[in-house]
Amino acid sequence: MPEPARRPVEPCPTLLRFMKILIANRGEIAVRIIRACREMGLPTVAVYSDCDRNARHVREADQAFHIGPSEAAKSYLRIDRILDAAARAGADAVHPGYGFLAENAAFARACRDAGLTFIGPSPKAMALMGSKTAAREAAIAAGVPVVPGTERPLDESVSDDDIAPMAEAVGYPLVVKAVAGGGGKGMRTVDDRASLSAAIRTARSEAGSAFGDSTIYLERRLVRPRHIEIQLLGDEHGTIVPFVERECSIQRRHQKVVEESPSIAVSPDLRRRIAGAAAAVARTVHYSNAGTIEFLLDETGSFYFLEMNTRLQVEHPVTEMVTSSDLVQWQIRIARGEKLDIDPERALTPHGHAIECRIYAEDPDQGFMPSPGLIRGLRPAAGPGVRDDGGVSAGYTVPVFYDSMIAKLVTWGPSRRDAVDRMARALREYQVLGIRTTIPFFLWLMRQPDYVAGRYETTYLDRLLAERNGQSFSELTESDEELASLATALDAYLRTSARYALAGQGSAQAPWKQAARREALRE
Amino acid sequence: MTFDIDINGRNRMVSVERAAAGRYRVIVDGRAHDVDAARVGTFGLSLLLDGDGGVSREVEVAPAGGPGEVLVRIDGRIVAATVNGRRTGRASADSGPLARGVQAVVAPMPGRVVRVLVAAGDTVTARQPVVVVEAMKMENELRSPKAGRVKDVAVAAGASVAAGRVLIVIE
Repeated sequence: MPEPARRPVEPCPTLLRFMKILIANRGEIAVRIIRACREMGLPTVAVYSDCDRNARHVREADQAFHIGPSEAAKSYLRIDRILDAAARAGADAVHPGYGFLAENAAFARACRDAGLTFIGPSPKAMALMGSKTAAREAAIAAGVPVVPGTERPLDESVSDDDIAPMAEAVGYPLVVKAVAGGGGKGMRTVDDRASLSAAIRTARSEAGSAFGDSTIYLERRLVRPRHIEIQLLGDEHGTIVPFVERECSIQRRHQKVVEESPSIAVSPDLRRRIAGAAAAVARTVHYSNAGTIEFLLDETGSFYFLEMNTRLQVEHPVTEMVTSSDLVQWQIRIARGEKLDIDPERALTPHGHAIECRIYAEDPDQGFMPSPGLIRGLRPAAGPGVRDDGGVSAGYTVPVFYDSMIAKLVTWGPSRRDAVDRMARALREYQVLGIRTTIPFFLWLMRQPDYVAGRYETTYLDRLLAERNGQSFSELTESDEELASLATALDAYLRTSARYALAGQGSAQAPWKQAARREALRE
Repeated sequence: MTFDIDINGRNRMVSVERAAAGRYRVIVDGRAHDVDAARVGTFGLSLLLDGDGGVSREVEVAPAGGPGEVLVRIDGRIVAATVNGRRTGRASADSGPLARGVQAVVAPMPGRVVRVLVAAGDTVTARQPVVVVEAMKMENELRSPKAGRVKDVAVAAGASVAAGRVLIVIE
């Protein structure tokens, strides 16, 4: 295999460049990227760890390379092994997906140094916006309001006693956040001085293990804010296009679980103002490729810059559904130097409504405890207005080593109510056998009057769950419980008779045995 | 054939008898149902309930955990069931204020103990968080299955634990 650096430069750079893309990720996002590449006629290279040998992304890619043991730190986070796989495959570009190395500027730089195109922003913009405190400064420079908080990162050398007066200045309730944070990790809410030290300790410990950086900062907690974010694309010619907002206020312990577009709380006028603010922040850092700017929107309609994610986001499909665009294909086109060719008006005009539920291998009836294990059966939902961005298949064992999301179920409808009803229908159809998933929880959520009416903000779900105090999401009526008992017994009966019939096969086969066996195995 | 089926802590005696090809007479706690049943795939059952005007229901029964432990899927909801009295640890952790006797909080999956929130002799309420275990990159609070007294704390912060390892014993 030739080294990528030694490849001759193509005479027609725009369309012929990067013939082959390595995907430095796994699971549903790797499958999503492979789908985009296949539609564009581009070959793909997967990488995988020990426990992912039979994973779906490996089978769907054109080539696949083993990069190490199951622990992420020894495989999906190993820059050297990923670059080695790219060289062996003769790949010209790397798509990082989200998570793992997606927001690691050193990885973006290493790709560039190895002669590979990194499908994402420049390492410089990534490093700048990756620091929550530097990103706040960029927002302030762009004239965009930020949530009041400490301007300086607080590393381990800053004691609790030094932080306490800063906390007073920011004002309680406040949030302790990891400077390198994301995905709700290293984040703790504090109501008063008494719980400050414990929150700092937990946030530092979580941030240290999740990001390798235990530096934190403080931010005031707004009262009942909504989480609104603006997806944007920037090309390498200075054009920035913001899209219709996403509403991500349905969160459990700061982790998004349901996302929608558009937001019921955003008027066309407010949409223009938030999108304009997002584009202004992106311009100050000469941002290119896909990125998302997150805001908090309070009850008065004021919005505050929260942070920027310098990558494709988990919830990107809802934007795609209401704007008829393909963000992953655009990422690839931008990275190979194409100009953005999107009507900005259309990007800001929602067509219908889309909702995404993140289906996790977690047991909602046990406090959302991870529930890894063998998937014995899988039948995703389908039909009108349904999109399944899945990452697993039957026969695959959900490993304990990574995030437990197994699929994203997205529905579209002409109105929000249609999208909600369609989601409830699709969730009921969605079959995952052998492990617990969050599907029963989402089915329950889709029937909650406040959710259906769109009356919620970022604290809604945690409050609702606290009120339930652990009650099951799969409560059955008396008659359904009886039916479940009936089916379980019938299943056991059919399996037992099949075993008897098989055991009898060695001897002369009586016709009744053959009949019993055929029937027991009847499909 | 008669089976002892346990769902949500309630036990039912279910007898199954083949009536004709694909047809069964199933008696659940004395109530008889005439059922037309067809296998769909390895775990699916399509059921037509004759007595209820041909009502069509789809139920999947897939093995999960040890022998006799299954997960039953019915209209998108999932419940654990046990066949012939093999109880799951999960079910006992679920029994809330009714739980009696000595019960253990066990690691549901491999992980690392981040914090132990109680000490031996402490009084705890049902569902009170007692230990924090990090697994799959998230910190998970494990709760007391019942109100009572902490009899034993079997682990310390920092310990790596295997699935099923007893962490805290409540009496």
